[in-house]
Amino acid sequence: MSQNENTTTTTDEGGTDPQTDDEKLISTDVTTGEESARAAATSRTMVEARGVDVYYGDLQALDDVSLEIPEGKVTAMIGPSGCGKSTFLRCINRMNDLVDSARVEGDLLLKGKNVYDDDVDPVALRRQVGMVFQEPNPFPKSIYDNVAYGRRIQGLEGDMDEEVEKALRRAALWDEVNDQLDKSGLDLSGGQQQRLCIARAIAVDPEVILMDEPASALDPIATSKIEDLIEELAEDYTVVIVTHNMQQAARISDQTAVFLTGGELVEFDDTQKIFENPEHDRVEDYITGKFG
Amino acid sequence: MATETGTTTEGAAFGKISRLRGIVFEYLTLAASVFGIASLGVLLGYVFWDAFGLQAADPLWYAAFAVTLVLPLTGFALYGRRNALAGEVALELFSTVMAGVLGGFALVVVLEVIAGSDVWSAYFATVAGPLAGLFVYGRRNEANWVGLAGLGALVVGPVVGTVALDPLTRVGELLGGPGIYFLSLVLPAAAIARYVVGDVLEFGSGDYAALATVVVALVGVPVADQFAAVTRPIWLMFHVALVVPFGIVAAKNLADRDRWIGFAGPLILAGGVALLVTLPEVFGIAGPEPWFDWQYVTANPSRFADQAGLYPAIIGSIFMIVLVALLTLMLGVGAALYLEEYAPSSGPLGAVTRFIRINISNLAGVPSVVYGLLGLAVFANTLRLGFGTVITAAFTLSLLILPIVIISAREAIQSVPDSLRDASYGMGATRWQTVRNVIMPRAIPGILTGTILALGRAIGETAPLIMIGVATTKFSPPGGLFGKMTAMPMQIYTWAGFPSQEFQHGVVAAGVVTLLVVLLTMNSIAILMRNKFEQSDI
Amino acid sequence: MSNEPADMDLTGDRGSQTVREGIYHLVFFICAAVSVLTTIGIVLSLAGPAFGLFGGSGFFQDVSLSEFLLSTDFSPAIKPTVFGVLPLVFGTLLITVGAAAVALPFGLLTAIYLSEYASSRRRAVLKPLLEVLAGVPTVVYGYFALVYVTPILDAVPGIELGTFNALSASLVMGIMIIPMVSSISEDSMSAVPDSLRNASYGLGSTKFDVSTGVVVPSAASGIASSFILAISRAVGETMIVVVAAGQTARFPGSATELLNSFFQSTQTMTSAIVQLGLSDLAGGTTAYRALFAIGLVLFVMTLVLNLVSDVLVRRYQEDYE
Repeated sequence: MSQNENTTTTTDEGGTDPQTDDEKLISTDVTTGEESARAAATSRTMVEARGVDVYYGDLQALDDVSLEIPEGKVTAMIGPSGCGKSTFLRCINRMNDLVDSARVEGDLLLKGKNVYDDDVDPVALRRQVGMVFQEPNPFPKSIYDNVAYGRRIQGLEGDMDEEVEKALRRAALWDEVNDQLDKSGLDLSGGQQQRLCIARAIAVDPEVILMDEPASALDPIATSKIEDLIEELAEDYTVVIVTHNMQQAARISDQTAVFLTGGELVEFDDTQKIFENPEHDRVEDYITGKFG
Repeated sequence: MATETGTTTEGAAFGKISRLRGIVFEYLTLAASVFGIASLGVLLGYVFWDAFGLQAADPLWYAAFAVTLVLPLTGFALYGRRNALAGEVALELFSTVMAGVLGGFALVVVLEVIAGSDVWSAYFATVAGPLAGLFVYGRRNEANWVGLAGLGALVVGPVVGTVALDPLTRVGELLGGPGIYFLSLVLPAAAIARYVVGDVLEFGSGDYAALATVVVALVGVPVADQFAAVTRPIWLMFHVALVVPFGIVAAKNLADRDRWIGFAGPLILAGGVALLVTLPEVFGIAGPEPWFDWQYVTANPSRFADQAGLYPAIIGSIFMIVLVALLTLMLGVGAALYLEEYAPSSGPLGAVTRFIRINISNLAGVPSVVYGLLGLAVFANTLRLGFGTVITAAFTLSLLILPIVIISAREAIQSVPDSLRDASYGMGATRWQTVRNVIMPRAIPGILTGTILALGRAIGETAPLIMIGVATTKFSPPGGLFGKMTAMPMQIYTWAGFPSQEFQHGVVAAGVVTLLVVLLTMNSIAILMRNKFEQSDI
Repeated sequence: MSNEPADMDLTGDRGSQTVREGIYHLVFFICAAVSVLTTIGIVLSLAGPAFGLFGGSGFFQDVSLSEFLLSTDFSPAIKPTVFGVLPLVFGTLLITVGAAAVALPFGLLTAIYLSEYASSRRRAVLKPLLEVLAGVPTVVYGYFALVYVTPILDAVPGIELGTFNALSASLVMGIMIIPMVSSISEDSMSAVPDSLRNASYGLGSTKFDVSTGVVVPSAASGIASSFILAISRAVGETMIVVVAAGQTARFPGSATELLNSFFQSTQTMTSAIVQLGLSDLAGGTTAYRALFAIGLVLFVMTLVLNLVSDVLVRRYQEDYE
């Protein structure tokens, strides 16, 4: 364990007593209570946030966020830039631990286990929660080594060639690269690089895949391939995607969370409901482009 | 403010502003920029004039010099300005040769002159061999214990090697010098050649490269036997340090037709030198009488200027710098990794980190003579490592350049993009896995560049050596880590105090040229690596 | 609200992996700690013999502080020995002033040229060449000063130089530290935002006005920092002085003597350290301890200069970055 990862502490404030949590949920103006109960009826909750606050130094990036992300669905986070949606994503796999000044308060549960408990190793957590970043960031290694990276560092058993092929097929990249696995990952096009990064993430078979604006650096054709891929991935994985592109969220997600300025989660509901009949005027203004 | 002394003429649309003052100022700044460089150029001219005894040469010799070397090389340089590829290839070839010669010398000095093949075989078996084996294993298999085992080998190996030196050297003696070097140098070199040719540069068959490495080593043995000065061990070392790398670089450039023109540069240089040596002799033209010659670099110092040589000092300097390189690389990279990848930048421990950072930048500004006092008090007097011994000198100079190495290593590590760190941590890699797999491969060229430049500073340092009691003149190279040594700058300092003209304008000048040639070689290697590194970054 | 028990292990392989990572962390920390140990080592190894911290007599027990700080005589070898640091400080200042007289104006003008006038192509040629100036070993510069520069200057009518003299040593040292001044000054000038330049051009300024009236004043703290760093380097420089400036400790009694001392042999703190070091390293004598007392003065002087320079650099970085 490094010092860095120790410096981020979790306060137990309001986290130990479930009742206060429920009160909190109801007391906020977020309409998650009733709606997510409906979601929970159809599938189990994978990630659950209870009153999460995040600070970077003195700056508050997330303000009392509570929501439940269902298993096996695509959940989108939308909102104007600087609204904290990426920050929330990075809380789930504790990437914020790598930022010295970041401080997380509240509870964040993965399958019921608080990932900010003292006995949770962020390294072990990240092995369950894969992540795909905004800019495609393949390692300057061969395509094969990129996909094999996670399995190697995690010391996973199994036939590596098979696993690499499986992951590349799953990421819809196999047909394009199967004869050039020795080529550097950097020689691929942007869209291929991003699918390589997705292959890299699913090669270790995580529970959740976090995607931080995965298509924002890509052209429309590459973007649509990524979108198709995300919908397919939802069959096996829980996908949480941050996007600034509302149409994209509408196209691919089952659930949508709308963050507005100040790190506040304003509305979280079925995607259809958010885009057709949002509860809050501010959300409607945002969706219709009057603001943000 | 806005206008200068300019006079505005009636009727002109916007008037005129005098630019004279600005133009004068611009040329003044240009002259100032060139002043220092030009002064150094003149002084270097004097030194080369003295060191090569050019005043003895006939005017015709100068003509020959101009025709055989200056004109062709100028022509090539001008061509290189238009065709950057030619210049690049020529520089690549030239640096490889110079680096190979320097590396070959370093190998010969450390392994043959100082350690001897039997002692080397003992330490190869306990330190170098296991380390290399672990490194290769770690490259192929992701095994988390490899780094720790390497660390262990680094600590335990030397102890085991020293304790079991006697039985191990006896085993080594059975193999004999050439046999030991074949096993410990040529075979690893063949493996590296196979990897470099086949996997890194990818221009040919790695197996052929490995085979060629071994075959040339064996074929070269009877050829080397024809020359008394070149023993079999020396041949094998230069084969590994010079012939193999040059072969790889040449083959790589030969594989691409566009790069062939680059070979013209080194050929012109070699041909020109050959012509310049033979032609004047054939026609009986008086050539220069250089102080800087083969005798000078192989002879011991002497009271008589024409017999004086720099040999013990060269050996001392190279041995010392090899040790300094090993020490500063390990400590410098470790410290830089701590500061960039491990150390917290906030919280109570953040203050410690900040303190270490400020401390390092201030250490870089401490005068070198103060480091000499540190070495004197700590290494020589308190730890009793001896006055003027190789180990005292190496420790002292390592501490001297460590801040520079750390600062450049930090810059190299900072230049690794954060997106790669994110990718690695996002996959659930630990810090060490990220460092080993993602950060180090990208940062190593930059780290090596900075280290070589810092070593250039160490090799020219004199004051700290005086303070730790390094001998002003020694008539034999150091016998080992605890042997007394001298170094090139020490010998230059000593000779500069001799009043005779022959020393002041001959022997010392030759010493300065030797030192500068070594420095130039190190710096051109560093610059070449930096260029390669920056190119691959784009 | 689903609170099923986690069917995965988030606690990781706490045993071996944590131990492994801990060992790497510790090893790297030790590497970093070497630099702190070096500083402590420097301070203790200088202060120890100077004040007698580790038993035995200290320099300041042998020699009174007032003699050390006030005596204008430094003669460590001839009895009765006198250890006054003033002549050495004077010699250091003399050499430093001479070196600064060369390095500061030339370095500043070079920086202006590189930052404001030079084409990128010329800059690419000039900057590495300037770095070469700082890369030549100092003993080589000392040799240049002794063997080539002194005879050349001596040939100038009206200048009578000794074989060893402060003038050529300080001139050559000045050339050596030009790149120190120019590189940091240029960095601070390049950091001046173009908006400031454009504002001045917009008012009808010429390039000369902009360079001298806008860029140089805006970069003042960086330039001052480079000056101080160069001076610190000159104070600590050893081999040029040892080889070319001789070993006669002087303290001028009059203005004429002060002027003349440039043309004569002189001794700085650094060259006194080397002289004492060449005669006695085994320890136990006052001369040996004097080595460390002088070293301490030198260390404190350069440290203060470096810290001031650091503060100034940080100021310009805060201004524009």
